[in-house]
Amino acid sequence: MDENYAQLWQKLSAALKPQVSPDTFKRWFSAVKLIQATDDSLTFRVPNNIYQFWIESNHITALQTAVITAFGAPRKIRFSSASDGLDETILPEIPGKQFSGDNSRDAGQSSNALGLNPRNSFESFVVGPNNEIAHAASLAVAQSPARTYNPLFIYGGVGLGKTHLMQAIGQYVGMKKKNAKVMYLSSELFINEFIDAIQHNNLVKFRKRYRQADLLLIDDIQFLGGKERSQEEFFHTFNTLFDGHKQIVLSSDRPPSEIANLEHRLVSRFEWGLTAELQPPDVETRLAILRKKAHTLGIKLRDETFEFLATRIRTNVRRLEGALMRVASFASLSGKQLTNEVVEHLLKDILQEEARHAVTIEQIQRRVAEHYDVRLADMTSKRRPANIAFPRQIAMYLARELTKASLNEIGDAFGGRDHGTVLHACKLVKRRMQEQDNIRQTISFIDSALQR
Amino acid sequence: MKFNVTKEKLLEGLQQVQNVVSTRTTLPILSNVLLQAKGNNVHLTTTDLDVGVRGSFEANVEKDGATTLPARRLFTIIRELPSSEVQFEVDGKNAASIRSGQSFFKILGLPEEEFPPLPKFDSAKVITIRQKDLRDGLRKTSYAISTDETRYVLNGLLFSLKDNKLTLVATDGRRLAMVDIELEFPRSHEVDIIVPTKAVTELQRLLTDDGDVKVSIGSGQIAFDLNNTLLVSKLIEGNYPNYRQVIPSEAKERVTLERETFLNSLRRVSLLASDKSNSIKLNFSKNNIDITANTPEVGEAKESLAVAYKGRDFSIAFNPEFFMAPLRALAEDEVFLDLIDEMSPGVLKIQTPFLYVLMPMRISS
Repeated sequence: MDENYAQLWQKLSAALKPQVSPDTFKRWFSAVKLIQATDDSLTFRVPNNIYQFWIESNHITALQTAVITAFGAPRKIRFSSASDGLDETILPEIPGKQFSGDNSRDAGQSSNALGLNPRNSFESFVVGPNNEIAHAASLAVAQSPARTYNPLFIYGGVGLGKTHLMQAIGQYVGMKKKNAKVMYLSSELFINEFIDAIQHNNLVKFRKRYRQADLLLIDDIQFLGGKERSQEEFFHTFNTLFDGHKQIVLSSDRPPSEIANLEHRLVSRFEWGLTAELQPPDVETRLAILRKKAHTLGIKLRDETFEFLATRIRTNVRRLEGALMRVASFASLSGKQLTNEVVEHLLKDILQEEARHAVTIEQIQRRVAEHYDVRLADMTSKRRPANIAFPRQIAMYLARELTKASLNEIGDAFGGRDHGTVLHACKLVKRRMQEQDNIRQTISFIDSALQR
Repeated sequence: MKFNVTKEKLLEGLQQVQNVVSTRTTLPILSNVLLQAKGNNVHLTTTDLDVGVRGSFEANVEKDGATTLPARRLFTIIRELPSSEVQFEVDGKNAASIRSGQSFFKILGLPEEEFPPLPKFDSAKVITIRQKDLRDGLRKTSYAISTDETRYVLNGLLFSLKDNKLTLVATDGRRLAMVDIELEFPRSHEVDIIVPTKAVTELQRLLTDDGDVKVSIGSGQIAFDLNNTLLVSKLIEGNYPNYRQVIPSEAKERVTLERETFLNSLRRVSLLASDKSNSIKLNFSKNNIDITANTPEVGEAKESLAVAYKGRDFSIAFNPEFFMAPLRALAEDEVFLDLIDEMSPGVLKIQTPFLYVLMPMRISS
């Protein structure tokens, strides 16, 4: 491969030479090496930062022209300087607000100072088929930041471990590379600080702060949706870090393309690296999570109780742990034998909440009607103008997806339609979801509203 | 605290420190100036947490004490006072009464304790420079400091102490200015530091033509002690790019230019440099330079300058603003322009160790 790159570089040099003076070529390009070439980008290795800096400032047009001459089309040009990367020179942490200018507090930066919970480590993460990929990707990123998947985008529902994985990455890197600058924050904090910086005319500081990170972890990135200037600022931060070969990890409750009001250039960048989904755990994983948690907390419960909890609480790991805590504290406080009836009584509210997730067709109809601003009666009526028929079809589709009702039952619930109509509606909605992003977004929005 | 002072002295004292005052409102104390009256002096201190300045003025102090007052407001009040005599009195609640002629002002301050102290320098490297030399060096380089916030290491001036020389360097990627100042210091003091733009600007205001400045370099911070005034600043952390790589090693042609005449010509011609390309062209021929600029659909300008030039005929284009900046900063009558070809950087030199590298612009024709 290396030889291949050398040849490409020769070809490129030949195109470049007539454009710059011989002295310039010798001075700036003789030490440059092509280390990576893809269909749309080229990465050059330069001996140190002055090369990148000077070439970018003065010779980038010449280089780009040469690229077009040599390869027929422009490509994105990146530089990697030999002194880059986490292993070597790490930019020191920006001094704090005290005027004293002493740096002692910057050096021994503990995980807690970053707002990372030491309990959220890779060791304490229970891996199941639902989160295998996300876990493996996170571990890979933590072991060699910016080398594997950049950016890493983790998404999944509430309480499925997004934050856990992100914090685990942060702590792993923080531990392995003492002087790496790890930044963990929520997108909300990012936005607030940005607003604050605008307000106080402090953008320089703000930028420096984020653009010096070696590892930037941003939780709940979906909140950037609709915040245009924050998005723009984040876009530039993203590019700076990415071009500087710094790792970026993002989390969200939905995939990038479904975050409402997020600029396309951000969406495409988020999808650039690896997108990993966290799904709700299956019953075995839930059981494993309970046992692990019980073990770390020193709780002893009967297998029967574990199983009861694992089968009854399905959607959310946080809730699962909460239930475990409640059961355990009841057991230790009352000393009573824990039968399933006792547990059931104890967790009445949680279980009810869980049960609510058994969505009824009526709820679906109501929700969809509300969303599309049609009358509930229209869901069952015979009228079929497009503005009513399509919401009705969506409701049928959701009923099919979210309830256990048969096609016939659904048809009955929608004003005595036959099963063929329902089947057609499902197919139609599925197809239109594939074709049109906004429909998919709307449906997933209604879906998540129903599941809440 | 109570003192009497002339309006001029007070104003002069405030002028020295007030530029540093922070404009951000998160910490109200930072928009205040700290006043400390003791003996026959009143000390003034301001800081924005990055840069801090401490100055003083002589006054007839009747009662020692200290307080902090809003700096900008205080300055505008003092400037407008009707009489030359000013009576200044601060009560226990940090309310200052200012009397002058028929005027009376009362302004409310904040307690002294809230004011962040300037840092201490314990294990600092100390060197002494003649104020005139440093001022001269700053003037010749500071205009080339980058304002591009993404390359933060360039948002300051490099102070490189090496081989009994202080080298000052500023660059923004398209030009580079460098000055050497001869200086005696022990080998152990050799260091490269980056002083932020704001500190450089303030320092230029404070330096005079007489006396020495004592520079203390601590870890992450620097102090400039100019007899009566002290300027303290944080340093920019990071490695300054290896600027020597930028400086061309050889020159093919050298032109001697009369600085003032050349500058005036550039200024006139640049009036018609287009906003878009913003370039002027220098066309060299035997014993002559034609300086030209043209903007499509607007017009063009041309000026001829007789010079001693014996090299080949060629044209090179530069950003006029970048060319004029060093010419304005220099005081010499003659400057030398070294050139290689139309695609290589031009270098401006003078008799003393100074160097200005300027990248040419592409000539589109």
